[in-house]
Amino acid sequence: MTAQTSVGRPAHHDPNETKPDNPLKRSIVSGIAVGVPLAIIAYFVTSGLVHTTNADPATIRNDSLVIAYLGWGLGFLFGVGAFNRPIQWALSRNEPTHQDELELAGHRGGAWRYFRFTTDHKVVGIQYLVMGMVLFAAGGVAAMLIRLEVIQPGAKMFPIQTYNTIIGMHGLIMIVATIIMITGPFTNFVVPIMIGARDMAFPRLNALSFWLLFTAVPIFLSAPFFGGFQTGWTAYAPLSDQTALGMDAYSLTILFFVASTAVAAVNVVTTVATMRAPGMSWTRLPILTWGSVASSALGLVVMPSFLASQYLLMLDRTIGTGFYKGDRGGSQWLYEHLFWFMGHPEVYVIVLPAFAVVLELLPVFTRKPLFGYRTAVGGIVGVSSLSMIVWAHHMFVTGWSPTASGPFMLTTELISIPTGLVFLASVGTLWRGKAWMTVPMLYLISFLWNFVIGGVTGIYLADVPTDVQLHGSLFVTAHFHYTLMGGGMMAFLAGVYYWYPKMSGRMYDDRLGRIQFWTMQIGFNVTYMAMFYVGLQGEPRRVGDYAAKFAVGNFISSIGAFVIGASMILLWYNLIASKRRGAIAPANPWNAKTLEWQVPTPVPLENFEEIPIVTAGPYEYGTPAEPAHIAGEGVPST
Amino acid sequence: MNKSSPGGGPQAALGKLSMAGAVVAVAVGAALVLGLALLLKALGAHPFTLKASTSSSTGGQTVAHLTISAYPDSMAGEHGKSGGAHPDWVSYGPTTNLWVPAHALVKMTIKNYDSATALNSPFFGNVQGTVGGVAYYNGKPLKRINPNDVAHTFTIHMFPTAGQPPLDVSVPLLGVADNAPNAPGSQYPKPTVVTFEFHTGASGRYIWQCFDPCGGTSYYAGFGGPMQNLGYMAGTVTVGGGAVA
Amino acid sequence: MPRMTPAGRTVLIWWAITTVLGIALVFNIHRILPGLLPTAASPLAQSQDFTLGLFTVLAVPVAMLVWVTAAYVLITSRTREMPTEDGPPIHGNTLVQSAWLGVSSLLCVGLVVYGLALLPDIYTPRPGNQLVVNVTGQQWQWTFSYPGYGNVTSTSLVLPVGRPVTFRVTSVDVTHSFWIPAMGVKVDANDHEITQAFVRPDLKGNYTVRCAELCGLYHAYMQSPVQVTSAARFVNWVHQQKPATA
Repeated sequence: MTAQTSVGRPAHHDPNETKPDNPLKRSIVSGIAVGVPLAIIAYFVTSGLVHTTNADPATIRNDSLVIAYLGWGLGFLFGVGAFNRPIQWALSRNEPTHQDELELAGHRGGAWRYFRFTTDHKVVGIQYLVMGMVLFAAGGVAAMLIRLEVIQPGAKMFPIQTYNTIIGMHGLIMIVATIIMITGPFTNFVVPIMIGARDMAFPRLNALSFWLLFTAVPIFLSAPFFGGFQTGWTAYAPLSDQTALGMDAYSLTILFFVASTAVAAVNVVTTVATMRAPGMSWTRLPILTWGSVASSALGLVVMPSFLASQYLLMLDRTIGTGFYKGDRGGSQWLYEHLFWFMGHPEVYVIVLPAFAVVLELLPVFTRKPLFGYRTAVGGIVGVSSLSMIVWAHHMFVTGWSPTASGPFMLTTELISIPTGLVFLASVGTLWRGKAWMTVPMLYLISFLWNFVIGGVTGIYLADVPTDVQLHGSLFVTAHFHYTLMGGGMMAFLAGVYYWYPKMSGRMYDDRLGRIQFWTMQIGFNVTYMAMFYVGLQGEPRRVGDYAAKFAVGNFISSIGAFVIGASMILLWYNLIASKRRGAIAPANPWNAKTLEWQVPTPVPLENFEEIPIVTAGPYEYGTPAEPAHIAGEGVPST
Repeated sequence: MNKSSPGGGPQAALGKLSMAGAVVAVAVGAALVLGLALLLKALGAHPFTLKASTSSSTGGQTVAHLTISAYPDSMAGEHGKSGGAHPDWVSYGPTTNLWVPAHALVKMTIKNYDSATALNSPFFGNVQGTVGGVAYYNGKPLKRINPNDVAHTFTIHMFPTAGQPPLDVSVPLLGVADNAPNAPGSQYPKPTVVTFEFHTGASGRYIWQCFDPCGGTSYYAGFGGPMQNLGYMAGTVTVGGGAVA
Repeated sequence: MPRMTPAGRTVLIWWAITTVLGIALVFNIHRILPGLLPTAASPLAQSQDFTLGLFTVLAVPVAMLVWVTAAYVLITSRTREMPTEDGPPIHGNTLVQSAWLGVSSLLCVGLVVYGLALLPDIYTPRPGNQLVVNVTGQQWQWTFSYPGYGNVTSTSLVLPVGRPVTFRVTSVDVTHSFWIPAMGVKVDANDHEITQAFVRPDLKGNYTVRCAELCGLYHAYMQSPVQVTSAARFVNWVHQQKPATA
């Protein structure tokens, strides 16, 4: 056996081999081929077991769905080849050769490598970008449905249980989409090149993180077919114990998604810690790297709490434990703590990379060094650290512990100080700079407009007396859309336009990009200003029907939302059509100084012929007779 | 990297996309979303609305008659003989969407075929908002029944939407005995019959629900399944403009 | 002390102008958007409205500093083409950074101290003879009972004007949130727990109790009428109500 393998190897690994990949191997096809049957088998086996152990099927719930989802997940991951190497290792097979690794990294190119277990960080980055866009589309469709229902009072569009499920679908899809939107595509694609590495530290884990996410998505999208879940994305117990089987889809989604974020986060932190090129000291790291590391490290600490909250909920629902049930000594407050211990830091998991994208791009378009690099890094690290001790501000009005309100108000408001430092860096970089008004630059400016509004309105919610009035109202919804969408997503869109030429090899359409920008900004501000208005008037969140006095604000908000929807379609159109018909992108269209723009487009596998030696910081604009800050001998010149 | 040769700015290198294509994309996208919305609307559309039969009594007062039933399963209501997706869920029938005339005296009859489950809140053992504050249980007038003997409640309560008058009516239904045998020729035991009367005001749209935790013991507080979906233990009451159906 | 540049002076002037205009707007917002805030029917709600206004006024100069500076750069230096030369290589300015840190820290500490000073208004009863109301949330209706008046129970809340109220709030099923927007009162209703909220309604009128925590199918409809009336009318009303069934 061993001899055969070793005999077979040289021929199999002929570098000149041009045999096309077998699409059925270690791909989405083989994943589904194993996952779906396993899910069906698991469902019927457990379903049968449950029914034989209980006399009255009417009194139990058919939560065999949980096992079916697990069957799908494990089966799909097996089928896609995620466990191949661990199994080989456990069976003491041969170590993979470099050629094997190239094979796994998709060195032959072709579109099919995006549909299989491919380890090249650039492939994973693009997989994440597409997945993020698909999730934004799905969550966006849900948003359109929400705004259709509440465009006028009376719940005339959908039955109210459908509306209740749609808001939860919208919420969680958008949370997942925003968590991955920057660290998925850009950290994966860009950061290894930025720091002068050939790939991530753990390429297999990188692929695994994407396919874990991919596993979770169909689970979540199946929720409406099993009755949905009428809990919103917060899934507060014990309401989540009452709701339909769709809730199990939610819990299982989180199981896979948290595993995905953990695997990805370990990889990012390790990569930046160990894979930096010679001379790339911590103080020369491009700021996107700092944002990615801070966000990943934070996620690594807090996301498991989400998993724990959903695991206990799953047990409460399936085998009848009482972790969150008051009548068994459990507590809804336990759920709320586990949830918000993730839930608040998570907004910083989303927003820290967004800060970093803004600070990364501003020097390029102002042609100036980043203002106060160390202060900005301090701000990012400060936000990351403080964010872990603020969660209970979500519980000021739960009646949980009034004496804790003071301390949590203090920690929550303290976080405005490091956030302010990030703003100082932004404004300081702009000051006396050029303003090269590209589409990415427009989005950076919109970030400054929107996030200031999001930040200021956050103060009202951090302060207990005003939070008592505003908590649970649409004011909160408007506030966090200003931060996560007006801040986070605008930074993501800046990043999309900025790195699109590098990732796709084509230029986007500039005119369409500008139209997309303005429709997005106008739609966004109309939608959420109107939502602030009805929130202050006293309309609660998550209601499919409302009193007449909220009608005007809701109508305006819905119109704005439809403009956002149209704008997002324009973005899709621009990205897809430009990929086919756009002008060929030069290697460095922005004349930027970070390393990802110094390599050719498309970026070759393993990025660099020779690892560069870094001799200066990443933002040395305006320095006359500057030394080329990359002195690597073999760096391909553009 | 030579700063003076930027390698061609993006402006110079742009390939123009057609605006018509973009407009088509937006139109197609909007159509898809609207199509999905209409599909969901159609799927959630209620099968039919039960209209109260009306007659004018002495003094010109409109009198309306409405009869509905509460069943221990879903085999007799709007979900068809097979019971639809959840045949074992308790339900009201023949439908949960009701229409009554405005400014009328509504004489309502509810036949209950289900057994009792103790109320979460004993308060809903009271009869409220009816003429005389009573309901007739198999002909016997009562202001309240024992909260432990309640099978379901029929409770209209909505306040306030678009300036419509409040309409608060709550009547608990007396459960049949736990082990009552099925009546001859029926899939259910002999029902308890509750009758009551209430006045409607100006037209408006109201909701009604059951307050009895009859959604199954495996759900927290008994409020899962049929309690959380329209068409079983919750529905709407439309108070119309007085037109005779 | 660095000398102020003409650009800096321009920004400073426009910052002052826009700040004054912005604050003027805040003071007149109720004229432009009547009904922006619910009627303030208690001292607590009035205090919250004042705090909202105060924070907005404080936010104006902060926001304007960012926006005016950005706008100045965009107006004076914008270009559609790639700039042919770079901006000045400014890597930072210790004075600016220290000042920014100092001012933002002071603002933050000020807000915290202000909030701490107001906490007793939320978490302690108003002084005086308390009217205790037991509030029960359930899917999807509120009930209110008055232990001081034979435990009479109703689905509408009636309160005498000017008398301090202690709400003892609970739930018999999932988590709800007891909210009277006009009075600035909110506390969650939790199963197997009693939470408290305190208020002194001082304006007669009709208001609404809202559930502010998603609680399932009919959450949107979980609202009840609140009437604040004279003490005499309150006593009259309460004697007409039924006691809660035992």
